[in-house]
Amino acid sequence: MRHPTEGTLRRLLDEPAGVADPDREHVAGCPVCLSGLAAVQRDAALTRTALDADVAVDVDAGWARLSRAVTTDVAGRQPVATRSRDWRSMLRSPVVAVVAALALLTGATAAAANDWLPIFRTEKIAPVTLSQADLVAMPDLSAYGDLDMAQEAEFRRVPDAAAAQKASGLALPQVRDLPRGVTGEPAYQVVGKVGATFTFSVEKAAKTAAAVGEPLPPPPPGLDGSQFRLTAGPGAAAVWSGGSQAPALVVARVVAPTAYSTGIAFPTAVGYLLTLPGLPDNVAAHLRGFTGDATTLPLPVNSTYLTASTADVGGRPATVLTSRDGVLAGVVWVRDGVVTAVAGSLSADEVLSVARGLR
Amino acid sequence: MVVAPRAVSTPRRATVRADLEQVFRAAYPRVVAVAARVLGSGDEAEDVAQEVFLTFGRSSVPAGEANGWLTVAAAHTALNHLRSGRRRASREEAAGGGDAVCADVADTVVTRDERRRVRAALARLPRKQAVALVLRHSGLSYAEVAAALDLSPGSVGTTVRRAESALRKELNRHASSD
Repeated sequence: MRHPTEGTLRRLLDEPAGVADPDREHVAGCPVCLSGLAAVQRDAALTRTALDADVAVDVDAGWARLSRAVTTDVAGRQPVATRSRDWRSMLRSPVVAVVAALALLTGATAAAANDWLPIFRTEKIAPVTLSQADLVAMPDLSAYGDLDMAQEAEFRRVPDAAAAQKASGLALPQVRDLPRGVTGEPAYQVVGKVGATFTFSVEKAAKTAAAVGEPLPPPPPGLDGSQFRLTAGPGAAAVWSGGSQAPALVVARVVAPTAYSTGIAFPTAVGYLLTLPGLPDNVAAHLRGFTGDATTLPLPVNSTYLTASTADVGGRPATVLTSRDGVLAGVVWVRDGVVTAVAGSLSADEVLSVARGLR
Repeated sequence: MVVAPRAVSTPRRATVRADLEQVFRAAYPRVVAVAARVLGSGDEAEDVAQEVFLTFGRSSVPAGEANGWLTVAAAHTALNHLRSGRRRASREEAAGGGDAVCADVADTVVTRDERRRVRAALARLPRKQAVALVLRHSGLSYAEVAAALDLSPGSVGTTVRRAESALRKELNRHASSD
């Protein structure tokens, strides 16, 4: 009989009862399979050791921390760590990387070029509302090629607005009137430039497809090995603390994402990317809506937690995000290649009022 | 701005599920352990666990499915943290006793540097493989991993095997290039 797959050998280690009798009997008497099983076992043991983390956990302290977070959350304020993480992870997650890559592919209608060519420049941001399930199911770029983070995001605190401006090259706008409940002087943070190069790999895409049990659609010529470079930042933020843990207001500026390519037939490439196994159908359908626009950055919005609407800030189209529980709101817009965001434990009206009053 | 109510028991909005404390006390150590497998750091794993339970507290996940939901959410959230590049080498080195790891069946002792490589390799794995690997090594059955990732139970072994093979190659590649 045919040798059982390595996947079957792997399961034999953990759940022998889950492997069919003929396979088990074959392996027991087959030197090739026994040798394969030993290799599988070595890798499994190495992985177990590599992933081993003996962590002592204080459940009472953990519960006390969560209780505080829940209390402030219910009271209309989220804890600082959680909130900043939500925003940061939303803006820097692999999902955004995928969407940004798709956006740059969809955007570029220019003919192929021989050198790095700016093919996408963020001039506005548009929300793409997706369900939690879609976001979880969304593959990241490593499923389709190699992502090299040339410059990773490094956040650091600086003493004042002048230092933030010096470090980021961006002047943070002044807030004219702080909303009710927001007081004191802000803390300043800066983040450096973030850069990544993505190299499409047909081999990786094929492996990803195989892993979900689907065939890889035939790739268009020239896509294999083609490269895309994405950059964003630097940026700066002023953060007003909201008492014990929660920042009440954040005003941030960051140089908007830009993408470059070594040159490829873009409409073909994006059409192809949107058919790859692993990308939920309705996500692909949403993203197709951006085809032909090289200046709109789709911002994935998790419909479980957020609602998105549009507004106008100083003549620029802006996206307003509001958490469904009503405790958090933010507004984001782009002008002259710079993204500005205002967010906080505030209502949508309050963040818009701050945004429109910035000097 | 509304004045904060003083206790959780009198929330302005009924946004927190009633069984949160009970579920938390039963599942917190396991959720931290799942995140720690990905992150190698107890502190960061606790941050992830807090994030996961905050989300759970607002959710309407049926109590009977809470454990599976929390485990999968911990794996995804920890991998998000890992890939977002916010980690500090010093924090990793402080992780779980560093290189004092029992070699067990593996003939390789995982050193601190290797731990760092393990995190980097995990971050490079396709998401499905990374999640399958973490869930399996967190004790989920093949059927549970299959359900969490929308795979057939038969293909879980293949996915886990590919991930383990890739991880070993990454570790060897770096070890030989040093």
